[in-house]
Amino acid sequence: MQAARMTPNVGRQLLRLGGVSSRLTALPEQLRPGPAWRPYATGAAQESKSFAAGMFRGQLTTDQVFPYPSVLNEDQTQVLKELVGPVSRFFEEVNDPAKNDMLERVEETTMQGLRELGAFGLQVPSELGGVGLCNSQYARLVEIVGMHDLSVGIVLGAHQSIGFKGILLFGTKAQKEKYLPKLASGEVMAAFCLTEPSSGSDAASIRSSAVPSPCGKYYTLNGSKIWISNGGLADLFTVFAKTPVTDPATGAVKEKITAFVVERGFGGVTHGPPEKKMGIKASNTAEVYFDGVRVPSENVLGEVGGGFKVAMHILNNGRFGMAAAMAGTMKAIIAKAVDHAANRTQFGEKIHNFGLIQEKLARMAVLQYVTESMAYMVSANMDQGSMDFQMEAAISKVFGSEAAWKVTDECIQIMGGMGFMKEPGVERVLRDLRIFRIFEGTNDILRLFVALQGCMDKGKELSGLGNALKNPFGNASLLLGEASKQLRRRAGLGSGLSLSGIVHPELSRSGELVVQALEQFATVVEMKLIKHKKEIVNEQFVLQRLADSAIDLYAMAVVLSRASRSLSEGQPTAQHEKMLCDSWCIEAAARIRENMAALQSDPQQQELFRNFRSISKALIERGGVVTSNPLGV
Amino acid sequence: MSWAQAILLARGLSRGWGGICRASFSQVPLQAAHGLHCSAATHTPGDSSLVPRPPKPPRRPIKALARHEELFRKAPDTARDKASFVQAVQDFARYSVHKRGHVDFIYLALRKMREYGVERDLAVYNLLLDIFPKEVFRPRSIFQAIFYHYPRQQECGIAVLEQMENHGVMPNKETEFLLIQIFGRKSYPMLKYVRMKLWFTRFRNINPFPLPRDLPQDPVDLARLALRHMEPDLSARVTVYQMPLPKDFKDAVDPTEPHIVGIQSPDQQAALACHDPARPVFVEGPFSLWLRDRCVYYHILRADPLPPEERKVEEIPEEWNLYYPMQLDLAYGRSGWDDYEFNINEVEEGPVFAICMAGAHDQATLAKWIHGLQETNPALARIPVVFRLAGSSGELLASSSGLEGSSPPPPEGQEEDDNQQRQQQGQS
Repeated sequence: MQAARMTPNVGRQLLRLGGVSSRLTALPEQLRPGPAWRPYATGAAQESKSFAAGMFRGQLTTDQVFPYPSVLNEDQTQVLKELVGPVSRFFEEVNDPAKNDMLERVEETTMQGLRELGAFGLQVPSELGGVGLCNSQYARLVEIVGMHDLSVGIVLGAHQSIGFKGILLFGTKAQKEKYLPKLASGEVMAAFCLTEPSSGSDAASIRSSAVPSPCGKYYTLNGSKIWISNGGLADLFTVFAKTPVTDPATGAVKEKITAFVVERGFGGVTHGPPEKKMGIKASNTAEVYFDGVRVPSENVLGEVGGGFKVAMHILNNGRFGMAAAMAGTMKAIIAKAVDHAANRTQFGEKIHNFGLIQEKLARMAVLQYVTESMAYMVSANMDQGSMDFQMEAAISKVFGSEAAWKVTDECIQIMGGMGFMKEPGVERVLRDLRIFRIFEGTNDILRLFVALQGCMDKGKELSGLGNALKNPFGNASLLLGEASKQLRRRAGLGSGLSLSGIVHPELSRSGELVVQALEQFATVVEMKLIKHKKEIVNEQFVLQRLADSAIDLYAMAVVLSRASRSLSEGQPTAQHEKMLCDSWCIEAAARIRENMAALQSDPQQQELFRNFRSISKALIERGGVVTSNPLGV
Repeated sequence: MSWAQAILLARGLSRGWGGICRASFSQVPLQAAHGLHCSAATHTPGDSSLVPRPPKPPRRPIKALARHEELFRKAPDTARDKASFVQAVQDFARYSVHKRGHVDFIYLALRKMREYGVERDLAVYNLLLDIFPKEVFRPRSIFQAIFYHYPRQQECGIAVLEQMENHGVMPNKETEFLLIQIFGRKSYPMLKYVRMKLWFTRFRNINPFPLPRDLPQDPVDLARLALRHMEPDLSARVTVYQMPLPKDFKDAVDPTEPHIVGIQSPDQQAALACHDPARPVFVEGPFSLWLRDRCVYYHILRADPLPPEERKVEEIPEEWNLYYPMQLDLAYGRSGWDDYEFNINEVEEGPVFAICMAGAHDQATLAKWIHGLQETNPALARIPVVFRLAGSSGELLASSSGLEGSSPPPPEGQEEDDNQQRQQQGQS
């Protein structure tokens, strides 16, 4: 027994000695049979260009991040300029967010105005009646919406960001031509129907079913979906339901998810009353019931049985808009906070002269700057045709929604009692914001995604190294290279990575912080992967900390890139951006250092995790707080 | 450099030559055959090859032995302790002023040390070394140093050091001083001493599963220690199911109530809970476990491995979680020696659910253990338990599907004796 325990140690030592490599994917063992990579992020087959994935491998994959991408050509910039003005004016003059919130629906005048602006088909190609914007242009307009009214943002987002995105991404030509013009004009609203009472992120427990007819011409759809944005308004639904699929290899029939485009006109589609919610009250959220709906087989979206992929792609592609909306919200909120801080006088002084207020305002500005940089970085990457943006999109969603919450919360704090009142409209923003940390994948789940996707890439590399170890003489040079790299890291010499020459010289200090943090992060990732191996999936305490640091690290790189560009182009705000960037990098690097040091070698960390487990278990057993009142009464 | 090599070579040659010569004179000192690396074996203390060699050449004069034996037999009624051992050594020094036969005496004393319980006492070893006459065996010239000056005495010195090594006694400055006085700096005992000094410190903590130097005398404590030693899971719980009755407690109903100590980890408990009640579990044993010089016996509760057709592979559906992968494909390409899938509780012989150590190895005692286990493992009440105890006539003694109702009759006393006899035979 004891001998058996010792053996893995030897292997571990050897694996540790091996270390990291950028070239490992070029090993011949790539053909090793094994289950196919699951498609949470595409592009898993070749070396990922994603910076975030590179971080987990201990590499600076700068292709997508440096220099800060600018993808719009002159025409596109011109189009955007022409749109920004009217849209801003529309939201300032026509739309009344407070009234929408009170009425719990978007006013008809606003809806009509939005239709005239073409806001319902921003990304639909112009030949099909849309505006034909690219992701970056779309993000810019969403930012304006986010500045003014998040409820309207949800109505628009549920319609085009997820509602009919499936048709844009996976629709056949006929489906596109049939539906997109009406959708783009706003004549028909769309909704995305995935969530069920028993199924949040658990796709396996979807109960809705679509049974093919014997003739094969239609499917009979049954089931109910809950919390569907636009559920009461929409006439077209992207619905996910289980269909029996025959495996061509084994002949076994399996239940698999398939996506359908369902018109309300098919009959049998009903919806419940609008839900009462905490925020985004003006948007319509309702249950949608499908009762024996006959869906023609040409309305299958993507392949039969390929619904899982469809859902994942839609969600991944819709995420970048949320960061943009959040950046806009923060901009508006900061303006309110600044207005208050600049005008409110206490003790004969304007309150912006107090250090406490200054720190709050500065942090708000930093958070907004980071979110904005991320949003446009991700949308630009998508416009560049990159397939490796899923981790970044998830990071931007998590970061944006949490930053916006903090900023709005602090704004209320700065405004004091005033902020708590309904009249300035900040409390409504806070209520509206809350859902952004929950929907389209809760932030917790997206953290797991970020950490696990990163670990998966890193794990592939370690596998490659294991293969190299099998034949040490054939791969001698590779192994020697790895060993020397590892020794350098152990000796504290660093891995030789550097951002000098890539970032602006004035930002070189922050650049060093990024590199240091990245090396530290990669070391810990490797250590944890070797320690837990496949079981890392269940180590959520560790995963959360890895994800937090990954988010901080990516944010550092993004702001560094943007501030570098501003400095090199000599923009008037460059020095200010440098301050924002440096402030963020200093704090984020310290956080990463602390987190990673704790994960790496803090003996108390394990105790902490054990305590968390036990405390939570005790709470569950007692059905609430375990301790009794200190008074004993 | 080459000069030093030449010296070494010459030494080796001379020793080899000496060995051959002595062999031809039918004096076969075992150590000579080791040649140059005579004391290189110090590198791996604990190696089985280091069991003390027969310290004496078989043809030593019997008369001398008898004379020295007397020193130790002088007072058979006195306690055999350090004082009497030291007394015997001092007696030798006193009676034999010329130190005649001191090598034989030292070999004898080395063998006697264990009986007197001084085998770990550094002072006694130093005392033994002190018997050697000083300065006599020191090489006076370089040639003497090369050609193994006074081999028999040097070997004796090495034997003392080796016995120290086997008992993990670290020599001290006094030892060094004595050795220099006796054999000089350039001698084999000194070389051995230096190597011991070097390697002892390095190998002090090499055993990843250390045992305390002095094992507990109480059988319950010893069982506890042994069970912890075997169980890799640190969260496993040791339970004392029955304490042994104190020795003086005579009028008990059952005068022989042996101790029963068991261990079970949460994993094993979970595995037992999922066990199919249609399949019996087995109590098997006794198996032996050596803790230093003590041998203890344990029994295991285990089941047969599931036949392959009944093994359920818990499969994570491919398309389960919409947002993040539920399973990582970390297919580390490992070589054969690197089996990460190996689970200590799910070996090919079948899962092990619990281990116990009892004072008696009969079925009645073990049934009490199973009874105790049922309190923490309610599922066990529904599972038939088969006792497969070694030493019984048939493989199956009895089976009991529910232990509550009828306690199986204890096996015959003779059989039990038989059993223990066999174990003792196995031991010796």
